[in-house]
Amino acid sequence: MTFPSAEPPHWSRPGSDEPRLNRPVPERYPQIRPTSGYADPRVVHSGPGPGAGTEQEPERSAVLSARLVIVLSVVAGQLWALNVGVDAWMQGRTGTAWWCTGFEALSFVIALGAWWLGPRDR
Amino acid sequence: MTGTTDPEEALRDRISADSLTSRRDYLRVMTTVSGGLLVGSVAVSAGVLHRHGDAEAAEVPELRVADRLARGQAVLFNYPGEHDRAMAVKLADDTVVGYSTVCTHLACGVLWKEHRGEEGELYCPCHEGSFDIRTGAVTGGPPPRGLPKVLMVERADGSVWAVGTAFSDESVRHAACRQLGAIRPGTTVPSCPSGGGN
Repeated sequence: MTFPSAEPPHWSRPGSDEPRLNRPVPERYPQIRPTSGYADPRVVHSGPGPGAGTEQEPERSAVLSARLVIVLSVVAGQLWALNVGVDAWMQGRTGTAWWCTGFEALSFVIALGAWWLGPRDR
Repeated sequence: MTGTTDPEEALRDRISADSLTSRRDYLRVMTTVSGGLLVGSVAVSAGVLHRHGDAEAAEVPELRVADRLARGQAVLFNYPGEHDRAMAVKLADDTVVGYSTVCTHLACGVLWKEHRGEEGELYCPCHEGSFDIRTGAVTGGPPPRGLPKVLMVERADGSVWAVGTAFSDESVRHAACRQLGAIRPGTTVPSCPSGGGN
């Protein structure tokens, strides 16, 4: 297909007709930084470091991630135990259902402990 | 950086554009979920869910469900409670079996399909669950448990009666002993475990 002029047709030109919308992404969205997504929204003065929002205490961050993983694993186990408990109760095995409840209680204590562990990261 | 002149305002903008749920928030939410699951489990064990056959055995009289039942024929009735939907089927060898018609998967109505399988089967059309007609056990599909049973007898005059219930996957003997223990506490029956099957 040929065009009458060297200019591509209007509909095939990339970008917008408005030049301000064709600026590079960092200029159009100054809120988006390479570090976006890492900062706690409650932090208003991030202090010195490689850049606002970057991790200042990597060990503390790792511990927070580990606590989160523990709690998620505990909740997965609780979902399984609830399934077993409902089945047991429906089959008339009430004792097994109460054992599952005990397991749930123990799991909750572990989750609560994992949450309670980091007084600065709750 | 261009676009915003006031650095403090730019900082506030950037922070507000960050993720609204932090790991700390997620940790707190999941710990709360964990507590919720504990509460749910206590409720289940304490008996908040309706279970077919939970009506006190002493309060439920035998129920005549049909004057006569032909081979391959099924009859619907409510037993032991007025909201406990059940079905009795007479098989080709004249055995009469009874089951709850509430599917153990998502509580849809279970149907008697005479021409499915070797002897016919109980079939849930919602998610294609199927149950063995002799035992009530799951033979296919997503149901997690077998159907609760209704213990049926056919008397000499051909009438069909519902006389008791059994939980999902519970043996008839265990159910009969359990209900005997509820009606007459302290009764000792040699073939029953101590405590009337409880």
